[in-house]
Amino acid sequence: MSNKPKVTGRERSEFIWGWLFILPTMIGLIVLNIIPIFQTIYQSFFKTGDFGRGNIFVGGANYAKVFADTEVWQALFNTLKYAVVEVPISIIISLVLAVFLNGKIKGKSTFRTIFFLPMVAAPAAIAMVWKWLYNSEFGLLNHILPGKTNWVSNPKIAIYSIAIIGIWSIIGYNMVLFLAGLQEVPKDYYEAAAIDGATGVQQFFSITVPLVSPTIFFVLVTRIIAAMQVFDVIYMVIDNNNPALYKTQSLVCLFYKYSFQQSNKGYGATVVVVLLVVIMFFTVLQMIGQKKWVHYN
Amino acid sequence: MKAKKLAALILSGFMAMSMMACGSSGDSTSTDTTTGSDASTEMKGSVEGELTVSIWDENQRPGLQKIIDEWSAESGVKATIQVVGWDDYWTLLEAGASGGQLPDVFWMHSNQAQKYMENDMLMDLTDKIEASDKIDMGNYYEGIVDLYKSNGKQYAVPKDIDTIALWYNKTIFDEMGVDYPDDTWTWDDFAAAAKKLTNDDHWGYAIAPSNNQDSFYNAVYSMGGEIISDDKKASGYDKPETQKAIQMFVDMVQEGSCPDLNTISESGADVLFESGKVAMVTQGSWMVAAFKDNEYTAENCDVAVLPKDAKTGKRVSIYNGLGWAASADTKNPDAAWSLIEWLGSKEMQEKQAELGVTMSAYEGCSDKWVNCTDKFDLNGHMKMLDADLVFRPYSKYTTVWEDMQTEKLKEAWTGDKDVKTVCQEICDSMNQTLSEE
Repeated sequence: MSNKPKVTGRERSEFIWGWLFILPTMIGLIVLNIIPIFQTIYQSFFKTGDFGRGNIFVGGANYAKVFADTEVWQALFNTLKYAVVEVPISIIISLVLAVFLNGKIKGKSTFRTIFFLPMVAAPAAIAMVWKWLYNSEFGLLNHILPGKTNWVSNPKIAIYSIAIIGIWSIIGYNMVLFLAGLQEVPKDYYEAAAIDGATGVQQFFSITVPLVSPTIFFVLVTRIIAAMQVFDVIYMVIDNNNPALYKTQSLVCLFYKYSFQQSNKGYGATVVVVLLVVIMFFTVLQMIGQKKWVHYN
Repeated sequence: MKAKKLAALILSGFMAMSMMACGSSGDSTSTDTTTGSDASTEMKGSVEGELTVSIWDENQRPGLQKIIDEWSAESGVKATIQVVGWDDYWTLLEAGASGGQLPDVFWMHSNQAQKYMENDMLMDLTDKIEASDKIDMGNYYEGIVDLYKSNGKQYAVPKDIDTIALWYNKTIFDEMGVDYPDDTWTWDDFAAAAKKLTNDDHWGYAIAPSNNQDSFYNAVYSMGGEIISDDKKASGYDKPETQKAIQMFVDMVQEGSCPDLNTISESGADVLFESGKVAMVTQGSWMVAAFKDNEYTAENCDVAVLPKDAKTGKRVSIYNGLGWAASADTKNPDAAWSLIEWLGSKEMQEKQAELGVTMSAYEGCSDKWVNCTDKFDLNGHMKMLDADLVFRPYSKYTTVWEDMQTEKLKEAWTGDKDVKTVCQEICDSMNQTLSEE
């Protein structure tokens, strides 16, 4: 007689159905994400031939080249700069907006819809519109503001102009996530705080922020990952002639340039593996850091 | 119980499908964001009795469709044109080539032709041309024929030819009291005029470091310099004549008769010209359609031949020409060849010019192109066919050194480095790239 508890028919059926339900997701992840990751890493050790034929194994030569390439380091710096500006500012603005839109305001759902609209528009279309807003000759911004600012071609400020587009596009999405998080916060905390004479600002920092901290953490992690992969806005707004290109192009822009424009897929793969490592580093760092400030119930 | 299980099965089936939809749409947005909507149409091979034709210029589609429809009427094979913008065209074509899914018939360009030919992606047309009574390679401009030749085999039939000319804004010339450009102009006259045509409202001339074929390449060759040696092994950037030509444009930027790099990078030379912000631009004949459709340029602008060099006396137009190529593994090789033969024939080359699509690669077939619009005197472009025609500099990996050249020239444009230093850097880097080909 075995000591193993007998697997009942019901348990087995649950097991099978459970796997069956996650199977589509699993297949999708494996085919679309996991296999390509390993293919990319594999490719980074090759000097790739045209049309994926005649690849030559070069060992770590691509990596040696990446570490000596100042353009890659500058691009990494640009990417970090973008993330450092975009992520915190967009989180702060959207959290404040979410708190206001969670209260009693007339036309609440109208405002929610308006703030969410940028998420619905195609990123390329957004970039084109902003490009014209920023245009130094014909742009709306220079029309309203005094002086002539080269918003997207001055190497010193172009990356911030790009980050503003990023912030504008993502606020609505973050806000919806925070609104969902706010529903979890019990109303009686606020009532108790109000009786004790706490102001709105005090309530925000002592009740709202700690209690939605799991949501803030989730948004922070996913937004940093997404911000490190910024590409479309930069690609659309900054063209080849732009003097700010060197100071604004992100790692993914470089990856695109090498892989697709110059068909040097091996080197492109190496650049993107570097990005993968950087993103993993920051994500692990946040996972460790969360113990200090994220409160799960 | 059974009904529940069935419902669960159906639900999971739905999930699988929506998952797949997510996957593919997610995938396409990653490339799509860079592209615009045209690119979402995939490049595909054909089904029986139907050909797909891929091009990148929307302006040429209506005219070409007319020519292709005539062929369809005669051959009974349907052919549809897909237009995919320039950048995405090559990304998608490469993906198609790697996956064996090239369109049946498509345009080839000097930037990429060598790569496609050497890897046997294109149908070898040599024997078919030999057997044809309509196509003879002797009838086309030599540079274009050579471009699509590799190891003695011909992989594409020349489609068109372009020339560069000097477009000018008559209104600004009148306002500033400067005579219109004509065939006596030298590059010195041109620079002097640009200076006179500059005031607070507009510049004399506009050029960006990436405008090579349509701008500084012409001056480089006119002054006796070169970009790449004839055997494609060495850069020509160390030649003093090359540097002299680039110096001329950089001087114009420094003096203020050309917009600075910041301005030109935000609004291209053509945009500035179309909005009356510059008096002159050098542009290729492929821009005629756009300038014709733009109300401002149609009203105020015209076109003349490029200036010549005072010392060498040479007037140079850097020309390029597309070729019609077919996929090496098209399911319908006979139909594909028949279409290419049709497009390359004398009658259809004449028709292409007459419809105003482009000037034709078949020598002597372009005369009617001059009459395709009454807005401009297109003799400016036509006469450049009789000037010194130099084929656009290219090698196997043209884009690699062209990108580098644009990147480095920016430092000369802004005045951060002097032209000589920049040119030497370009020369070194380009020689390095060429040695790896």
